[in-house]
Amino acid sequence: MSGFDTRAAAALADSTLKTAVERTAGTAEAKRTLAVAAFPDFEAARTRAAAIKDHVIAHLGHYLEQFEANAIAAGAQVHWAATADEACRIVVDICRKANAKNVARSKSMLGEEIGLQHALAEAGIGRIETDLAEHIIQLADERPSHIIWPAMHKTREQVSALFKAKHRTPHEEDSIAAMAESARRELREQMLGADVGISGANFLIADTGAVCTVTNEGNAELSLVPPRVHIVTAGIEKIVPSMPHAVHMLRMLARSATGAALTQYTTFYTGPKRAHDRDGPEEMHIVLVDNGRTNMREEGLADMLRCIRCGACMNHCVVFRQIGGHAYGGTYPGPMGAVLTPALDGLAPNRDLVQACTLNGKCQEVCPVRIPLPTLLKGWREKSWREGLEPTSMRMGLGLWAWVARRPALYRLATGLALRAMRLLGRRGWIETLPLAGGWTRHRAMPRPAASSFMAQYRKERRP
Amino acid sequence: MNARDAILGRLRGAAPDAAQAAALLVAPERPAVDESALEAEFLARLALPSVSASHDAIDTIADLPAAIARYLDAQGEAPTLCLPPDPRLDPCDWRGFTLHDVAAPAEVAALAIARRGIAETGSLIFETSPAAPMLPNFLALHHIVLLATRDIAPYLEDAPLPGTQPRAHYWITGVSGTTDIEGTYVRGAHGPRFLHVILLRG
Ligand code: SF4
Repeated sequence: MSGFDTRAAAALADSTLKTAVERTAGTAEAKRTLAVAAFPDFEAARTRAAAIKDHVIAHLGHYLEQFEANAIAAGAQVHWAATADEACRIVVDICRKANAKNVARSKSMLGEEIGLQHALAEAGIGRIETDLAEHIIQLADERPSHIIWPAMHKTREQVSALFKAKHRTPHEEDSIAAMAESARRELREQMLGADVGISGANFLIADTGAVCTVTNEGNAELSLVPPRVHIVTAGIEKIVPSMPHAVHMLRMLARSATGAALTQYTTFYTGPKRAHDRDGPEEMHIVLVDNGRTNMREEGLADMLRCIRCGACMNHCVVFRQIGGHAYGGTYPGPMGAVLTPALDGLAPNRDLVQACTLNGKCQEVCPVRIPLPTLLKGWREKSWREGLEPTSMRMGLGLWAWVARRPALYRLATGLALRAMRLLGRRGWIETLPLAGGWTRHRAMPRPAASSFMAQYRKERRP
Repeated sequence: MNARDAILGRLRGAAPDAAQAAALLVAPERPAVDESALEAEFLARLALPSVSASHDAIDTIADLPAAIARYLDAQGEAPTLCLPPDPRLDPCDWRGFTLHDVAAPAEVAALAIARRGIAETGSLIFETSPAAPMLPNFLALHHIVLLATRDIAPYLEDAPLPGTQPRAHYWITGVSGTTDIEGTYVRGAHGPRFLHVILLRG
C-alpha cells in the first residue's frame, strides 16, 4: 500500500478520530449554512471575492511592490524568500540577531508549510504556540489536522489527559471551559515573556503596507504586542489592493470558516511601534514567501492562489470527514490540500492523494472564492497519467475498460451482467460486500443499481 | 539574482488600471443595516451570542466613573482599573478607584475609547497611539469600552482610518473565545471574558 493508503486505512480504523472530526466539522458545517442563509446574496459575494483575488493574482508583481514600498515607509523591514528553507533562514537570523531565547507564535499555515517549527528547534530557539489548538498539538508533538481547527482530531477526553500530564496547574473539573482556563494560565506568562512574536498574515494590504491577522482567541495580539520584535511570514498571494477589498474578503472568510459575521479580533499591523507609543515591538519584519506560488501561477494552478484558507472545503468533504486531516500527509488537508500538496511536495509521492476524491463537487460549491477544486484535481490526475505515475494494475484495468467501451455490443453485455450481479448482492437497497472490491465496501455501502442501465432506460423513454 | 528580483521578475506585467480595482468594490453585498436607527442596530448586534457584550449609557463623560463602578460592582469586582493616558478622560473624577496605566498580567479591568462602532457587526474600532496602548485591552478580564453614539457607523467599510496608519488598527467584535476543543464554544480563551460598552449619548 502507498503512504496515503496506509494512513487512510489507519484513520478509517480509528473510531475515536471519526467521532472527533465529526463533532467539529459537523458544527462548522451547520454554522456556515446559517451564516450564508442570513447573508443577502452570498453567491454574488463569492463571485466578487473570486474577482478580487483574480485581479490581484493577475497583477501580483505590481501589488507586491506597492505593499513593500508602503510597509518600508511605515518602518517595517521587508524580506523575500524564494523557498521554504530561505524563509526559515531569514526568520532564524532575525531571531538570532535579537538574541531571542523564546518566540511566541500565533497560528500560521504558512509557518507550518515552510517547517518553521523545525528550523527554530534546530536553532535552539524555544517556541510557544499560543493558539489553543496549536498548543494542544505542540504538547502532543503532532501535526495540525485542519487549517482552522488544527486539533480537530482530538476528543475532549484526549485533550484533558494531555493537559493533566503537561500543564503545571491543570484543570480539576473535566469540562472544556476548565481545560481552556488551564491553557490560559499556562500560556499567559509565557506569551508575555517572549522575545519575538511570529505571525502569519490573513491579508497584506497593498496601499497601506498593513498586515492583517484574524483570531477568535486574541492570541495573535498577545503574542505580537509584548515582544521587542514582530516577524510576519506571508505567502505572496495574500495581497489585496486596499482596505475595502480586505473588508469584502473578511466578510467571506469569517462566514465560510466559522459561520460568524466577523472574527472576534481583526488587527492590521503597519510597521513597528511609533515614537511614544506605550507598547508594540521596536522592529517589524515581513518575510514574503514564494515557495512554489509563482510556479503555480505559471503552470495552470493560478485559481488555487485565490484560496483564503477558510477550511470550508474540508468541513464539507465526505472523504475528509471519514479520514481526518493527517491521512493527507501534507501541510494542507482536505480538497485544497489534495490540490496544493502535489504542487508543494511533488506529484510522484502524492499521486494517490489526487485520486482520493469522489468529485462530488461539494467543496467547489462552498468555496468562498469559487476555486474549481474538482477540475484542478482532475488536472493532477491527467498529469499523473501522462507522466506514467499510475501503477500498472490501474493502467491495465483502464486499458481493458477502454477496449470494451469501444465495442458497444460487448460493453452492453458486460454492463448488463454486472448490473444483474450487483442487484443480487444488494437485495436490501445497499451493497455491503462486493467481491474483488472488499477494500471499497469495508467502510461504506454502495447503493443497489437501477434495474437497467442508463442507455437502456434512455432508449425505452425515446421509443414512442 | 536575489530572491526579490527572482520572484518579481516572474510576476512583472502591466500595472492595473486603478479603476479596475475600484470597480470590484461597487455595490458590495453586505448585511442590510437600517441607517436611520444606527444605535439600535449596533446594540442588537452587540447582544448577539457571537458578540455577547453588555452595555450601558451615559450623558456626559463625567458620568463615566460611576458607570464603571456600577458595572464592576455588579460583576463582584473591586473598583480597580487600567486607564489609558487619554486627555479626553480628564473631566472624570476617579475617587474611589485604584488606577494604574500599565496592565498587570492578570489585569481585572481595562478601559479603552473606541474611535468607531460598526452597526453591521457590533464591532468596536481602535488604533494605537501614545494615549492608547493596546495590551491592556487583551490582558484584562473585563474590557470596558467608551463609545460616543455619534461615532456609530453602518458598515465595516467605515472602519478603516484614512491617511497615515498607526502601528495597529484593530477591530474587536466580542470577547476572546475558542472552539478549538471539539468545536465547543468557550469564552475567555486568552483575552477578555467580558466586554462592556458604555455609550456616550451627550
Ligand atoms: S479552497 Fe476555498 S473552501 Fe478550501 S480553504 Fe481555500 S478558500 Fe476555503
